[in-house]
Parts: sequence; structure tokens; C-alpha cells
Amino acid sequence: MSKPIIDIRNISKVYQMGSQLVHALRDITVSINQNEYVALMGPSGSGKSTLMNILGCLDTPSSGTYFFNNTNVRELNDNELAEIRNREIGFVFQTFNLLPRASALKNIELPLVYSGVKKYDRIEKAEAALKSVGLEDRMEHKPNELSGGQRQRVAIARALVTSPSIILADEPTGNLDSKTGEDIMRLFQNLWESGNTIILVTHEEEIALHAKRIIRLRDGLIESDELNHNQVNFN
Amino acid sequence: MLYEIKESILLSFEALRSNKLRAFLASLGVVIGISIVIMMGWLLGGLDKAMQDTFSIIGTDMLYIDKWDWTGGDNWRNVRNRKNISLKQAEQLRKLHGTAEYVIPNINQWGTTIEYDGETYQGMTAVGTTAENAFTPVGNLLLGRYFNEFEEEYGSNVIVIGHLVYSTIFKGQDPIGKTIKLNGRPLRVIGVVKKRGTMFVDFIDRQMFLPLKKYAGIWNVDRKSMSIGIKAGLENNLDEVRTETIGLMRIIRNLKPNEPNDFSINETKAFEKSIETLRLNVYMIGIVMTSLAFIVGIIGIMNIMFVTVTERTKEIGIRKSLGAKKRSIWLQFLVESSFLCLLGAILSLIMCSGIAYLAATYLPTYFPEVSFLLPVLPTELFIIATLVSVFVGILAGLIPAIRAARLNPVEALRFD
Ligand SMILES: Nc1ncnc2c1ncn2[C@@H]1O[C@H](COP(=O)(O)OP(=O)(O)OP(=O)(O)O)[C@@H](O)[C@H]1O
Ligand SMILES: [Mg+2]
Repeated sequence: MSKPIIDIRNISKVYQMGSQLVHALRDITVSINQNEYVALMGPSGSGKSTLMNILGCLDTPSSGTYFFNNTNVRELNDNELAEIRNREIGFVFQTFNLLPRASALKNIELPLVYSGVKKYDRIEKAEAALKSVGLEDRMEHKPNELSGGQRQRVAIARALVTSPSIILADEPTGNLDSKTGEDIMRLFQNLWESGNTIILVTHEEEIALHAKRIIRLRDGLIESDELNHNQVNFN
Repeated sequence: MLYEIKESILLSFEALRSNKLRAFLASLGVVIGISIVIMMGWLLGGLDKAMQDTFSIIGTDMLYIDKWDWTGGDNWRNVRNRKNISLKQAEQLRKLHGTAEYVIPNINQWGTTIEYDGETYQGMTAVGTTAENAFTPVGNLLLGRYFNEFEEEYGSNVIVIGHLVYSTIFKGQDPIGKTIKLNGRPLRVIGVVKKRGTMFVDFIDRQMFLPLKKYAGIWNVDRKSMSIGIKAGLENNLDEVRTETIGLMRIIRNLKPNEPNDFSINETKAFEKSIETLRLNVYMIGIVMTSLAFIVGIIGIMNIMFVTVTERTKEIGIRKSLGAKKRSIWLQFLVESSFLCLLGAILSLIMCSGIAYLAATYLPTYFPEVSFLLPVLPTELFIIATLVSVFVGILAGLIPAIRAARLNPVEALRFD
């Protein structure tokens, strides 16, 4: 039994909207181990993104506890949270979130800049990451000179470059056609097979079927959390 | 950190390039502010140089006893009613003085007539003096030599001319040994004094020096007041020499203990004071104008930085999600606003260099009073302008940068 990398207990998130309270998450308890491949599903507004942001240390829960690698996240200050995001977490977003003015290589270098890696190592690692997503011939391209699928692959390379403990992807195929989306899913499968931990938000059943475990949310509560026995594999 | 600064500069450069006009308008206040600082420094530099030149003309170890106060310090009416300082009094002082190195009587005749080579020249000043005058700043010669004690004793027909006299009459030809007619008397030119004029003492290059006895043969010395140059030898002796001079002069001029001095003691110190006042005025005006310009400038830069932060909210969110600490975010915006101001400073320096060069080259032709202007900006101004601009940039960028660093990453990421 591998040790849990994510361990959240009774987490809730409440937003204040004027005089109204919005319960985005109500009482979530989940633990996720190393090298798991989890799909997070649920209708729009069910709290998937909110949960991902908390898991990624971008946001803090209103109540409950979150242990990341046995560290209580509540006890960390801003700088320590930034370090965790930098070293332990790789984000992949639906809208890619690349810096528009920077080349693919510069985008991938950025997390390494924030962890203080020296220039030479930085370029070497960024090139290797770009190669691992099959874009070694697009290093100097700006995001607007790349296709949607290519942009998402650059974003994945950026998420991988610091060798994080976990990859969080919020609807990574949401802006892509199904063919390109499949390419991206193939990439995730490769990452998982080589030992990475992946949590993926989607509302497409087909996409979710690639994962090993599927958690369904509804109205800020976990509706179901079960292993996927029909996992679809690329071979 | 160094890399982050470098990246931030590159980023700012690109941001500026895509928004030239906006950046220019925003930094206009800073450009004006820094230009004022530069122009002020330039003026003060010129004044300092003029002061140094004036000092070297007068001599920092010299006192001049005169009926007139050179800086206009004493009450004009009292001064006018003073009795002349006679040649006899001057010679008494020369004989009695113990601490001074030299005591040199001088007598001036304004508005002489010179004839040379068939032409007549007006408006030069003849100075009757002793051979010891060669040891004062006037003894610094361009050509030839000063007259000696024998020529002084015999009242020889020799004359040492000022630079303007030389250039007006001889127009570059060798004047040594040539004879000019001064109010009808033939005199042999034996020396030319180096150019010395500045804005504070401009009459000085029109002077010509001849032995006192020769002067007395041309003009009546009894109706004129003498000016007595006293060389202390060392600047440190100046107080001692001044005290003795005042004491002796009071005795020579029969002053009662309760009467004020009826003569003035002129020295570089007095000029120092009047230049100090001028400096102070330049400072005050400059500081007021600079402050105003900088307040406007800082508000302008701060505004553009707020706009920039808003425009880049998404980018800030992305950087935070990738692990940027607050420090990295505010550093980026401080670098950007400093860089903006630095470009403003460079623009100001280029502009002011041009103005300084043109002003110093062409203005003195029409306004000789401003001949102290320097054609090149003093080097330290480049350093000062750079430092000031970076400081202003940091000041103006501080609040926007802190606001950027404090943005909530989730909300920033949602922004578009
Ligand atoms: N900053 C906020 N202020 C107020 N309410 C918010 C805020 N962020 C999210 N919510 C609310 O919290 C709930 C969950 O939002 P969340 O973005 O997590 O949904 P989601 O499952 O990701 O939906 P989608 O599939 O549409 O992305 C929604 O009702 C939303 O309106
Ligand atoms: Mg969402």
C-alpha cells in the first residue's frame, strides 16, 4: 500500500456573494496515493475547479484539513505555498495559460526560474520536457504560432519540467477537438505509466474512462468514488 | 534573482514597444523633472567654474584696499562720500606693512585713447602700478615679460597689455616690441596678460599696466583714488594680514576709534558670498520645480503601472500558479517602472546635452553675461540622473507592485 500524497478531511469552501452564502464544497474527504490516475467528474458548478484549486494550494478551504505529503497545508505561509506549487504540483489548464509573449521554451523554463535552477540546467531540462511531448522542433514558437493541441502539450511540458509529485489538469481537453484531445490523453497515460500521479477534471465520460479511479461530485458533495474497471488504454 | 531582473527588463522593453505613446506620456513628468535636475546641475556647475575663475583672477591670498566695495555691499552714499585713497597713503601703507608679502598701489584710468598703425581705439583701461604686480594673478603672462624695478623706478616707456587689448589692436600679430600711443605718449609693448575675463569680472581683459611714474606723467594722480593690492603670500596669513591692514589704514587715514572704516577691503570671500546667494536661488527654484514635476511624474508612472498590473492580471495568476513568490511579482513591476523612468532619464540627458551645447555655444555671443555656461554636462549629472530616475521609478511603482503581488491567484487566473 503506497502512502497517500493527498489527504483531505471534511473540507468545505464557502463563498460570500453579497448577503448570500455559496457552498462550493460541503464536506469532502478523499485521499489519493502516489501513481494514481483519478478523474474528477460532475456537472457544471458542482465544485470540481474549486477542489482542484485547493488541492493545488492556489486556494485554501473554509474548513477542514489538508495534508499534502504529510504536511498540514494550513500551517504554511505564502512563500512555502509558492514553493509547494513550484516543486510538487504541475498545473494544466483548459485555456493552456501560457505567457503569450514568451516562446515555448521560455514558458517551460519559467517554473525552473522560480526554483532558482541555473541557466544551463534550465535550458537542458526545458528542452528535454519539450522533447517528451514531441515538440522539440517548436522551441522558439510563441503560443499564437502553435495549434491548440501543441499549446496544451507545451503546458504539459511546463507542468512536468520540475518533476512534480502530482499533475492537476482542469479540463485539459475542453478546448480541443476529439482527435487532438485523444493525443493529449495518450500523453497523460504515458506519464501515468512512467510513475506520475494524475488528477484530471472532465465532464466527458470518454475522457474519464482513461483514468483508473473516478470521483463524481454533485453540489459540493462526493456522489461516488470508485475504481474504473473498464479503463481504456492506448496501445 | 539577477535572471529575474534581466527577464523583467526585457519584458518591460517589449511592453513599452507595444505601447510607445502611452509610455511616453506617462513618463513625461519624470522627463521634465529629471531635465530640471540636469539643467540645475549644469547651471551650478557653470557657476562653480565661474567662481573658480574669478578666484584665480583675484587671487585667494589677495586683499584689495579700495574706496569702493566691489560687490556693492557697503552703503552707496557713504562710500561716495569717502575721501580718496591718495598715492601718499598707499606708499605709507607699503612702507609700514609688516605681515604682507607685497603691497602694490594701483591707479586706474578708464576710457583711454590708443593709436596704433593709423587706427584709434577707445575704451581700454590704463593701470599705473609697481613691478611687484607681477606676483599677483595679473603677472600670469601669455607673451613677453612684466616691467622690472628699474623700469618702475625710471618710469620707462613700457606697457603690458590685457588680452582684449592685444586681440583688438594686434589681431594676432606679435605685439612685443611694437610701439603704441597711449593718449599721445609712445609706449613699447613688452608683455601680454593671459585671458582672464569671466562674467563676474569682465573688464579685466581691457586693462593695460604701466609703471606708476609713467602713469603720473600722463594723468594727474592727485584727483584719483588708489586701489591697493595686498598679497598675503599664504591663504592662512590672510586674517593676520587683514587685521594689520585695517589697523594701519585707520592710523594713516586718521580715524577716531568710534568712526567706521572709510575704505573697503575686497577679497574673494565677498564673491564667494554673492555666488553662494546665486547658487541658493538656483537651488530653491530648481527644488520647487523639480518637486512639482516629480509629483506629476510619479502620479503618471503610478497610473500607467496600475493599468499595466490590471492588464497583466492573468499573467500574474499564471506566474503564481507556477510558484512565483510575492517577491518575484513585485520585483517584476518595480523593475518595469524603474526601467520606464530610466528611459525617461536617458531621453532627458540627450535633450539637455543638446540644449547645453547649443546654449553654451551661441548664447554668449548675444549675452556675454552667460559665458559661464558649460557646453558639456558634468559627468556626475549622468550618474545623478540615473539614480534619481531609478529611485522615482521605485517610488512610483511601489504601490502597484505590492497590489500585483497580493493578487489572489485563483481570481487572477480567472481574469481575462
Ligand atoms: N469566487 C467565487 N465567488 C463566488 N462563488 C464562486 C466563486 N468561485 C466559484 N464559485 C461558485 O462555486 C461553485 C463551484 O464552482 P466551480 O468553479 O468549482 O465549479 P466547476 O465544477 O468547476 O464547474 P465547471 O464545470 O462549470 O467548471 C459554483 O456555484 C460557483 O458559482
Ligand atoms: Mg471548472
